[in-house]
Amino acid sequence: MSHWIITPILLPTLLGAFIVLSVRHQVALQRVFSLVGLSLLLINALGLFVYAQTGDIWVYELGAWPAPFGIVIMLDRLSALMVLLTAVLAMCVMLYAIGSDWDKRGKHFHALFQFQLMGVIGAFMTGDAFNLFVFFEILLIASYGLMTFGGGTRRLQAGTQYVIYNLLGSTLFLFALGTLYNVTGTLNMADMAARIAVLEPEHTALLRVGVVMALMVFAVKAAILPLHFWLPESYAAGPAPVAALFAIMTKVGAYAILRMFTLAFPQDSPEIAGSYDVWLLPVIVISLAVGMIGILGAKSLSKMVAFAAIGSVGTLLIAIALFTPEATAAAIYYVVHSTLATAALFLIVDLVVSRRPQWQDTIREDRPMPQNGLVAAFYFAAAIAMAGMPPLSGFLGKLLILDAAVGNWWLWGAILISSLIAIMGFGRAGSLVFWKGYGLPETDAPAYEHPRQPLAFVAIGALMAGIVAMTVLAGPMHRFAIATAEQLYDTDAYISAVINHTMEESMAHEKEGSSYAPVDKDLIQTEGGERGTDHPQEATDGHEGESH
Amino acid sequence: MTIEFLVASAIGVLTAAGIYLILRFRTFPVILGTSFLSYAVNIYLFSSGRLIVGAPPVLQGYGDYTYSDPLPQALVLTAIVIGFGMTAVVLMIALAAYLSGGHDKIDMQDDDASEDRA
Amino acid sequence: MSLFLIAALPFIGALLPGLMIQAGRNTCSTWTGIISLSALIGLLVHAPAVLRGEVITASVEWMPALGLNASFYLDGLGLLFGTLILGIGCLIILYARFYLSTKDPMGNFYTYLLLFQGAMVGIVLSDNILLLLVFWELTSLSSFLLIGYWKHLPEGRQGARMALTVTGMGGLALIGGMLMLGNIAGTYELTELLEKRDLIQADPLYVPALLLILLGAFTKSAQFPFHFWLPRAMAAPTPVSAYLHSATMVKAGLFLMARLYPVMSGTAEWFWIVTLAGLITMVMGALIGIFQNDLKGLLAYSTVSHLGLITMLLGFSTEAAVIGAVFHIINHATFKASLFMTAGIVDHEAHTRDITRLGGLRHLMPITFIISAVASLSMAGIPPFNGFLSKEMMLEAAAHTYLGDNHWLVPALATLGALFSVAYSFRLLIHTWFGPVRDDYPHKPHDPPFGMWLSPAFLAILVVMIGLFSQALVGGLVDATAASVMGNGAHPHAHLKLWHGVTPALYMSGIAVLGGLVLLALYRPANGLWHAVPRPDAKVIFDGVVGAVSSAAAWITGTLHDGKLTRYAAIFFVFAVLASWHAFTGGQGVTTPREPMQADIIPIIAWFALIVGTGVTVFYHRHRLLALVVLGIIGVVISLSFNYLSAPDLALTQLSVEVVTIVLLLLALNFLPEFSPRESSTARRARDLIIAGGVGVAVAALAYTVMLTDFAMPSIAEYHLANSYKLGGGDNVVNVILVDFRGFDTFGEITVLGIAALIIYGVTEGLLGSKVRLSLLERTPNHPVAGDEHPLMMVVATRLLLPIAIMVGVYIFLRGHNDPGGGFVAGLVVAIALLMQYMASGYDWADQRQRYPYHATIASGVIIAAITGIGAFFNNMPFLTSDYGYFQFPPLEKFELATAMGFDLGVFLAVVGAVMLTLESLSRLAYRRGDVPDEYPMDINPSRLPKSEDH
Repeated sequence: MSHWIITPILLPTLLGAFIVLSVRHQVALQRVFSLVGLSLLLINALGLFVYAQTGDIWVYELGAWPAPFGIVIMLDRLSALMVLLTAVLAMCVMLYAIGSDWDKRGKHFHALFQFQLMGVIGAFMTGDAFNLFVFFEILLIASYGLMTFGGGTRRLQAGTQYVIYNLLGSTLFLFALGTLYNVTGTLNMADMAARIAVLEPEHTALLRVGVVMALMVFAVKAAILPLHFWLPESYAAGPAPVAALFAIMTKVGAYAILRMFTLAFPQDSPEIAGSYDVWLLPVIVISLAVGMIGILGAKSLSKMVAFAAIGSVGTLLIAIALFTPEATAAAIYYVVHSTLATAALFLIVDLVVSRRPQWQDTIREDRPMPQNGLVAAFYFAAAIAMAGMPPLSGFLGKLLILDAAVGNWWLWGAILISSLIAIMGFGRAGSLVFWKGYGLPETDAPAYEHPRQPLAFVAIGALMAGIVAMTVLAGPMHRFAIATAEQLYDTDAYISAVINHTMEESMAHEKEGSSYAPVDKDLIQTEGGERGTDHPQEATDGHEGESH
Repeated sequence: MTIEFLVASAIGVLTAAGIYLILRFRTFPVILGTSFLSYAVNIYLFSSGRLIVGAPPVLQGYGDYTYSDPLPQALVLTAIVIGFGMTAVVLMIALAAYLSGGHDKIDMQDDDASEDRA
Repeated sequence: MSLFLIAALPFIGALLPGLMIQAGRNTCSTWTGIISLSALIGLLVHAPAVLRGEVITASVEWMPALGLNASFYLDGLGLLFGTLILGIGCLIILYARFYLSTKDPMGNFYTYLLLFQGAMVGIVLSDNILLLLVFWELTSLSSFLLIGYWKHLPEGRQGARMALTVTGMGGLALIGGMLMLGNIAGTYELTELLEKRDLIQADPLYVPALLLILLGAFTKSAQFPFHFWLPRAMAAPTPVSAYLHSATMVKAGLFLMARLYPVMSGTAEWFWIVTLAGLITMVMGALIGIFQNDLKGLLAYSTVSHLGLITMLLGFSTEAAVIGAVFHIINHATFKASLFMTAGIVDHEAHTRDITRLGGLRHLMPITFIISAVASLSMAGIPPFNGFLSKEMMLEAAAHTYLGDNHWLVPALATLGALFSVAYSFRLLIHTWFGPVRDDYPHKPHDPPFGMWLSPAFLAILVVMIGLFSQALVGGLVDATAASVMGNGAHPHAHLKLWHGVTPALYMSGIAVLGGLVLLALYRPANGLWHAVPRPDAKVIFDGVVGAVSSAAAWITGTLHDGKLTRYAAIFFVFAVLASWHAFTGGQGVTTPREPMQADIIPIIAWFALIVGTGVTVFYHRHRLLALVVLGIIGVVISLSFNYLSAPDLALTQLSVEVVTIVLLLLALNFLPEFSPRESSTARRARDLIIAGGVGVAVAALAYTVMLTDFAMPSIAEYHLANSYKLGGGDNVVNVILVDFRGFDTFGEITVLGIAALIIYGVTEGLLGSKVRLSLLERTPNHPVAGDEHPLMMVVATRLLLPIAIMVGVYIFLRGHNDPGGGFVAGLVVAIALLMQYMASGYDWADQRQRYPYHATIASGVIIAAITGIGAFFNNMPFLTSDYGYFQFPPLEKFELATAMGFDLGVFLAVVGAVMLTLESLSRLAYRRGDVPDEYPMDINPSRLPKSEDH
């Protein structure tokens, strides 16, 4: 059997451990290994992406334990896309971190980076609710390390807040999992979906609580108001490459919502209707507004981009929370764009910070920085993409979302007006930071010196190239997005992929069992003894021993 | 007094204590608060497998035994370990923030925000 | 030439100037010129066909599923605008070559210019309205760059931002309008959409779509009340003003109205909104224009006024009006562009554009004078220049237009507008060129080099020729354009000639000319009056609004995100509880709860201890050490209760974790203040108590409900119980789940621990590398260090304990699979044992005796775990598939070895490494200056007695 589905998770893990084990003192070697590892990861992700195009769903049962009893790794179009996106983003960010020597400012940057990837990719691929929690924790704790990487008072204090806020989120996640397990008696997402579909109404109260708690957990990740407060300070205070990498983290929350709430907790199912649909869109719109307002109201570039990230995720989540295939397709197109654009902006801001020793990223004039023109050009392009102005993918994504939201004119109003505010904000900041300096009286002070850092520019250029590619290849991208959305809403296929898989596997590998008799008869009979038993739905319907 | 009531109320009290401490102004009580919260949630997660006395999930060989639900126990075990790691990290970061910032206030102070970044 | 190429050429060409500037300014401008010239030629080769009424199209799919395609088509309207854009573009490029000073980066300028040109061409050639949107916004962006070209000028930056904001707003409105339109018509292709007039106008969305689209058009074309940005944009270099703000960009709005005329016009809404907006803009723009002292300002307001004129004509929605509009678009482009360029020449030569400082220039710069004179007269609508003809048409059309049932208002206002425009035209002419030569010009003006006046001269010639031979020159073009504007198969025919006989229009323009001259004669008093009358300054209002919005945004952002975690957390808790409560009430709870268990005395005591402990911790939380100790007790109570509730593994884990946690907290407390100050007010504490209590009650209720509810469905745990031994090879189901059923979770879990240790190590390194280190070395500990740092008893005890503890660890490790225990607990036990050595004998002593590379330990732990899992690949099983067998080494009894053990070993190593690395990091902070690494295990030691005085 093929194991390429698990390697995207194992590779970063082993690489991270290996870096710690052998080369933790040689940054140069770490860089080499990181880049090699990321290249392999990229290839692997591409392979999986191509595989997912076939449209069938790959179920990988860890430890050969049949779902839902063990943990499964799943690959469908959506997860393949997200993994690929992560790999691409990671490569660009790593190039920047190397090009700007960020990775030299502290210990274990590369190891933590790899572990971060492990967490993110695992979260995208796991098919098990509790395992999702574990990967959330992995990506969180790695992010704690990365966020406080390099130290400094402000960063450490912001880091403390960031950790504590996310600890609250994790706690809530455990509450949610406890409640969901208590109702459904399972942890496998697909199985959970199948069981909820046939749940007696008398259990809906607890189920709804679990569902809403889970939603709030994901909302914290995705930074939806009023659970977004961890984001601005930490993204602004954190190291730029890390903030850029974090562009994918909010998407993890969005992904989780998209996955769980199309598969298991659809808002139109009678068990769940009315539990969250009444408030979800409104709060998303508010967070969109707050994000975009923040672009205009922020005092520093990095804060501005942090708010832009919130606004962008808000736009994305509007599309997600409509829960129609069309809107979901729009969301899937937009998520890629949003990730690349946010990351690019964070890196560009770092270029500014490092080139303006006096005012750093404060939004005010300063003497023209080294490579002002180039940086300004990058900023201009990235801001256009972020604000959703033509011709870049942001505009196309926005068109898709608006088109999918026809009839909900209040959403139109929110999106369009907030875009205007974003445009004003970016325009203001840009002209203050990049232009106004030329109006300053000539001083005899020497101009700022700064290394040219070609690699850093290459990294940002790569991200921008990605955005351009999204624009030019919008047609195929959109077609893929539509296919992905259809796959998402074909939940029966997803569920039966897990369950049928279990069935055919059941015969496959017998393990030479223990030397003496089974332990607890009735339990075994009700459950079908062999590893790889039938799904409980079948198992409990009285065909004892069928699978013996 | 039923065991369920005792456990439920204990969870409630631990949660309340944790939250109250988390709402304090200094990092140390806040960290204590998070430990309280994790106590609470661990017991909650554990109790989602239902309570049962004197039936540990260690197989007794032949015959008909009832066992407590092992799955939540395993989950809680994982949660405890992860929680431990988290506590250690937040403790260290908070300590570092105190040592370099000179105070252990949990809220951002304006003078810190203005400080240049490393 | 393919339409694609025509539209693409400027964009591709935009790369050239940046490179060619290396080869000098002439090369740069030449290549730029070649680009747009070839585009122009490419367009004109289609002209004959288009004038015959054919339509050239070219299309390729872009986002078919959305309906956005790169499809272009060329009809009369497109041809007219395309010619204007590219033709005047060439002239501007030539002009700019001489206008720009050597200090200005010419490469950027031409790049921006070509970008803009491409965007404009794209607009007028687009067949797909979404594609049109793309180009539409591109014009806003490129004009932002062009207006802000002189970065050092504040007016330039502000003007650019104002233009971007206003046109950006219009652009967003347009997005909405276009999407609505497309949704009504079911297509975004203009060629199909324009056929669906009835369908569109019958749709309820027609009016909103119309409003949004007009908002876009009006902002772009500076129609009242959005006219104010245009004069501000005059801060741009004159070539930009001449190009964008007379000939092309501001006409994009008109183009849009003309383009959608077939489906949008003819309704009452259209008539009223468009006509009134145009009328007001025309009159008001002209009036303001009279009193502008800045040449370009005057021209800007005149442009506003003329745009209003054309808009009004489109509003009339009659054939004659449309023809007049089309014709005036041509004429205005010619005379206004040349006027702008001459104004630029004056500025360039005399170093001022202030009319009050000019005058008498006709002697100094005769050529420029002639050009300017011709253009001004045309602008005033004086025969035989082309401006006269189209103004006649306008007045004629106005004369037949009723506003409601009022038949004189429109003609009267139109005449008034014409009168004003005569006034400012002549003011421009006379106050600049006539009068005595002055000797106080900032710079002595004279005619510019040939290349600079060539472009305006060419346009001036056009002005004359079109005036004289209108029908022959542009008749066909006007017909074709008007036809495509009217759409619906109309075949309008224009009769362009100077003399229409004595018509109402003739009277009206007569009045206009005379009145205008009179007004100019009375300029001084009029000017005084004008400045005496208070009137709103649009810029002030706009800046006010923008300023208000910005400061509001800043306020919202600031107050919402004030960095107060205490507030954030409070919001989190409240929101979580409310949402969960709302969800709960929406559902249905179980009707038959399960039977609760009666508690005997022991759990009640434990419960009591727990409650009291919690209370104490909360109450004395400011006394940190005390709080910590009590926390430890609580942890012990909890682990006991786990044991009581038949979870021995949990009990063990909880206990050992508790110990390590408390030790870590103690070590940290060593650096932190011992007491928290009392900071929160009583009200604040009350608030927190309410929140905390509320959440607590909610959680307790939830937990109680959960515990009294049966599983809705059989839990998957039954399978684990059933197969733990049979397939997992272990009796301790929890452990089997951890290392086998759900080994992947555990794999992640140890990774988390490892990462935690790495972070702690990294943070410590960071601290020791920073200025903090000094204060650490100098710090005085909270307590004076006890004379007896390493008490004898403890040292001895820990020494004895170490081997035992390690044995216990191994034992726990081995039995783990079948009885409570396992790698994790074992790891913690061993770690604690080692940790005790440190506590008893001090870091240095212990460290000298046990040099473990903790990084390596962690890493190898993770790797071993992973390798064990990967091993399964080789017998073709998925990751983490375990295998096991039984072995017997006499005299030991038969025991079991499972691959799961290898996994457990990984866990063990990772745990030990993580805990020890964490401890090591913390202790490295503890160094103080003057600390002598004490190589002795304990203080009391006979061999050291003599030295012990100096303690």
